[in-house]
Amino acid sequence: MAYADLREFLETLDRNGQLLAYSEPVNPEPDMSAAARATANLTDRGPALLFDNINGYEPGKGRVALNTVGSWPNHALMLGLDKDTSVKDQFFEFAGRWDAFPGPVERRDDAPWQEVTLTEGIDLFQLLPLFRLNSYDVGSYIDKAAVISRDPDDPDNFGKQNVGIYRIQVKDKDRLGIQPLAAHDIGLHLQRAEERGENLPVAIALGNEPVITTVAGMPLAYDQSEYEMAAAIQGAPYRITKAPVTGLDVPWGSEVVIEGEIIAGEREIEGPFGEFTGHYSGARRQPVIKIHRVMHRRNPIFEHLYLGMPWTEMDYTLALNTSVLLYRQLKAEFPEVAAVNAMYTQGLLGIISVKQRFGGFAKAVGMRAMTVPHGLAYCKVIILVDEDVDPFNLAQVMWALSVHYHPLHDTVTIPNLSVLALDPSSDPAGITHKVVLDATTPIAPEERGHYSQVVGNPEGTADWENIIKGLLK
Amino acid sequence: MNDTTVNSTICPRCDAENVRVLTTSPVPGRWTMYVCNTCIYSWRSTEPSSATDPLAYPAEFKIDPADIPSIPAIPTVPPRRR
Repeated sequence: MAYADLREFLETLDRNGQLLAYSEPVNPEPDMSAAARATANLTDRGPALLFDNINGYEPGKGRVALNTVGSWPNHALMLGLDKDTSVKDQFFEFAGRWDAFPGPVERRDDAPWQEVTLTEGIDLFQLLPLFRLNSYDVGSYIDKAAVISRDPDDPDNFGKQNVGIYRIQVKDKDRLGIQPLAAHDIGLHLQRAEERGENLPVAIALGNEPVITTVAGMPLAYDQSEYEMAAAIQGAPYRITKAPVTGLDVPWGSEVVIEGEIIAGEREIEGPFGEFTGHYSGARRQPVIKIHRVMHRRNPIFEHLYLGMPWTEMDYTLALNTSVLLYRQLKAEFPEVAAVNAMYTQGLLGIISVKQRFGGFAKAVGMRAMTVPHGLAYCKVIILVDEDVDPFNLAQVMWALSVHYHPLHDTVTIPNLSVLALDPSSDPAGITHKVVLDATTPIAPEERGHYSQVVGNPEGTADWENIIKGLLK
Repeated sequence: MNDTTVNSTICPRCDAENVRVLTTSPVPGRWTMYVCNTCIYSWRSTEPSSATDPLAYPAEFKIDPADIPSIPAIPTVPPRRR
């Protein structure tokens, strides 16, 4: 199942009762953020929201879509699955499709965003209903756009072309601030451009089908193409089109494509911005983008992402790409790993289910999670559970912690490890102790506790699950 | 929902008198957005006073313009290749 563009995905959500179109008048602030926050607060099965009557914009013309992937049914529909697919089944489906990397791309010249081109008098606020997401954000942000750049030292290398999502402050009608951290692929591109004394050309693609958005948030290797990963995940060639000035490959189906460049050597105050940790980031001096050209469909939909205290849409878009990445890296060395749920604050906390080979084995797996590349910035708290505990079922995980975990024997604290600086508990920023909580059943030679008389399921329970599921439909 | 003209001269965040109109609503008269040229804070005339009024803006989010040049640069600018 592959969606050509955002509009096709929204139609699918609508057919499945997962799109709420709201045509009553709303103010840019704080109505749309509050609605997205409320949806996330109420349920993990919520709809996408589509606003088309925003104060200051012609009704029907200024449109904002929020929360498009912000629930498990919407995430399942992104993958072309039944909307009731369990999180665990979505995890294994995602992991299986990853094996098809690299998938093919399909180059097209006729992108819908070529309909209108602006090169003079650019004012993003006229085109898109930009608004402040959280009360003390410094201004309006774009936080769900695919940002495309190339390696200036190897500009023809398709794999090194990067598609990523970075927070973008809209500082003026045609001027943006961006956060390309040194560890990000675009950070490397910018470093090389600045070493050469050159600006870094970028394309910013807004309003996309959901798979490229999900893949753009995936921590892929430097020379792995996000488009080839998107093809693998959607199970069909990924359509791309060259942006006319920069020559960068952008999604064929985008609503809006912005071309510009990061100005070499320039840093300007940016932030604060309410972040995925549930806290505001402070202000930093960060790079700026000068916009040269905007291309768009007529009456484009501004697809936006509300971000703040977890859970929000970002937790859904990053849940499985983070979990599956850790799962694959751990599984390569420890085939006993059954599943990984690292979807709490991008994997600051993760749960690993594993079949222990001998006493102490699970603790070793937990410590290994902290030393895979993603673990260097995350994996502050790792909980280990047995292979028959579903790490996506928190009731089961809490049961294992409550009865298997012994504070004296099952706590491993490792001091002064690296973590992302945005973790508000890190002190100094970027350094923290990390902990393994081993909630697996002790096995030889670690013989302790009283675990021989487990209450199993009554015979036929699995059959009855299917019967009852069918009756509930 | 009309443009209730609010503070348009002093930045609510850094108190600099260095404010200009950023843009106005596509449907005329609904709102005006302002931006501070000193700290790049922006606000819309229809927002609550905690976003638009220097006196109502919360102290923990205020900044001093004198501190801006010493805010860390992320990422740092690398030296040019020879």
